[in-house]
Amino acid sequence: MSDAPGRAANKPAPKLIKGSQDFYGGLALMAVALFALWASSDLQGMRGFSFGPGTAPRMFGVLLLVLGAGVALTGFLFEGAPMQRYGIRGPLFVTLAILSFSVTIRPLGLIVSAFMSFIIAAFGTEETQWKETIIVGIALTIGCALLFPYALGLPLELFPRFLR
Amino acid sequence: MDIFSNLALGFGVAFSPINLGLCLIGALVGTLVGVLPGIGTIATVAMLLPITFGLPPVGALIMLAGIYYGAQYGGSTTSILVNIPGEAGSVVTTLDGFQMAKQGRAGPALAIAAIGSFFAGCVATVLIALLGAPLTKLALLFGPAEYFSLMVLGLIFAVVLAKGSVLKAIAMIVFGVLLSMVGSDIETGASRMSFNIPELADGLGFATVAMGIFGFAEIIRNLDHGAAMDRELVQQKISGLMPTKQDLKDSAPAIARGTILGSILGILPGGGAVIASFAAYTFEKKISKTPERFGRGAIEGVAAPESANNAAAQTSFIPLLTLGIPPNAVMALMVGAMTIHGIVPGPQVMQKQPDLVWGMIASMWIGNLMLLIINLPMVGIWVRLLRVPYRLLFPSIVVFCAIGIYSVNNAPMDVVLAGAFGLVGYWLVKHDFEPAPLLLGMVLGPLMEENLRRALLISRGDWSVFVTRPLSASLMAIAAFLLVLALLPALRKKRDEVFVESES
Repeated sequence: MSDAPGRAANKPAPKLIKGSQDFYGGLALMAVALFALWASSDLQGMRGFSFGPGTAPRMFGVLLLVLGAGVALTGFLFEGAPMQRYGIRGPLFVTLAILSFSVTIRPLGLIVSAFMSFIIAAFGTEETQWKETIIVGIALTIGCALLFPYALGLPLELFPRFLR
Repeated sequence: MDIFSNLALGFGVAFSPINLGLCLIGALVGTLVGVLPGIGTIATVAMLLPITFGLPPVGALIMLAGIYYGAQYGGSTTSILVNIPGEAGSVVTTLDGFQMAKQGRAGPALAIAAIGSFFAGCVATVLIALLGAPLTKLALLFGPAEYFSLMVLGLIFAVVLAKGSVLKAIAMIVFGVLLSMVGSDIETGASRMSFNIPELADGLGFATVAMGIFGFAEIIRNLDHGAAMDRELVQQKISGLMPTKQDLKDSAPAIARGTILGSILGILPGGGAVIASFAAYTFEKKISKTPERFGRGAIEGVAAPESANNAAAQTSFIPLLTLGIPPNAVMALMVGAMTIHGIVPGPQVMQKQPDLVWGMIASMWIGNLMLLIINLPMVGIWVRLLRVPYRLLFPSIVVFCAIGIYSVNNAPMDVVLAGAFGLVGYWLVKHDFEPAPLLLGMVLGPLMEENLRRALLISRGDWSVFVTRPLSASLMAIAAFLLVLALLPALRKKRDEVFVESES
């Protein structure tokens, strides 16, 4: 609601790239397509009538390249939305929380791992009030420790490896 | 009649105490998560997918169906009470629903939404039972070429009906198809684009990508607005759930019309709930004698889209169960769930595992009934849930999703991948790319590739096979026609915008 007060129209100066959101979006898709084409370049192509493993990835890679170019061109030629601002804090801490979970779940077990990533994720906003966050974190950890291994019967280790 | 014996079989399966319980839990948990602000239907189903892994296939699917309906209903609840649509399908419900809530009539609005959904669900269940068998026979006429054409048609439908740019939606589908090709080649077993990473050799997990793009990305995006999202929670007490006689009289025809419209749009591949609710709302407003009431708390404005939404949600199971083609992202998730349980949806399932298919169909109806029974008395609890501050909610969701993904394969790498796809999803949203077509492309990718390869092998490399076989040709023709139709107004609109700019 708050981050888009001046959409399009209120910038009278002519710009080279009219819709930067689409322009860069399209370029990035082209990069993805090129990457896929490169990654599948060592695969075998058509063998007579039949597709090789590399045929379909190449087909769709080229298709994505063309479509990406189309999107970028649209952004270049037509008036469109400008780039949106990216947040840093949110993405950073949420990603860190996810990484921390994946690194610690095996050696440290669910309880430590879940609580740790809860706390790390909570850094994602400045509005976190630590006392309540820690209480909720503990409650959630206990809840998960009961729900997943016991109620749902999933094979998860609860405790750190050195305690087992 | 076949239908009755089929339905009887289905109800026999669904009414077993265990399945009934699973359906109930599914509907409850679905509503519980769906009601949380900022979590849409797809995210809810994706998040809750892992809790069904430990169940037998029939039970798992019944529970998932329950979760799906619960999530949808939860979405309507937030639309009416907080003016935050949980998913695209309930956007229009906010227009009149929230106004009603502001006038202190949240109770009747919620009740009508539930009653309308239930009625729509009843009709759609019968429709599925009626159309299921004949469509399965039709499916047997389909060769690889026809399947491929049908999937193209379905994807084009999805593109045409999606909001925003057609070009970008197609690009997203192709992106999804490319992602689906990571891993082993189906025929030769050659490893494709997996960079010798063992976790990638099996391909990108569907649940992983869905959870990243819909779960994590959603959280990151919401954090941009600050955790204290401006939630205008209705402060009035919800007094009197029951709609008045006048309300019922006003909304009954709207529910009927919404149901018809929704049922038809739901069957179309790519149609689904979103377009149905929009169409139903617009239609009601058009034929109303007092269109000025719409947007100010007209009960028809809640009844019609909610019925249409639910009817479409239900009939969209038809293409999935009969042809094995998921018509939208939620159904794509269902396919993902089925494959995890070793079921390949399609005509064979209908014949080989009738108890599964009909049990699921019957449980949809039961799920609807349960929503009616559970949700109306429990509205108070849902409202309280809405007050949970986001600053506490989002770390919980992160942890819950992480555990969920990890438990799919017990693979830490999956969690990392989901995190990466969370960032990809965030990026997509920032550039106004819709993530739903990507997911659809990813699920349809392997099916499309397989049928394409097979069709071309049979035709000895002749691409004209797609337009020389009559059934395939007509499907392709419809797809082409739709695409042109969708592109034309887009072009015109773009040009209009340019004209407006240059005049001013």
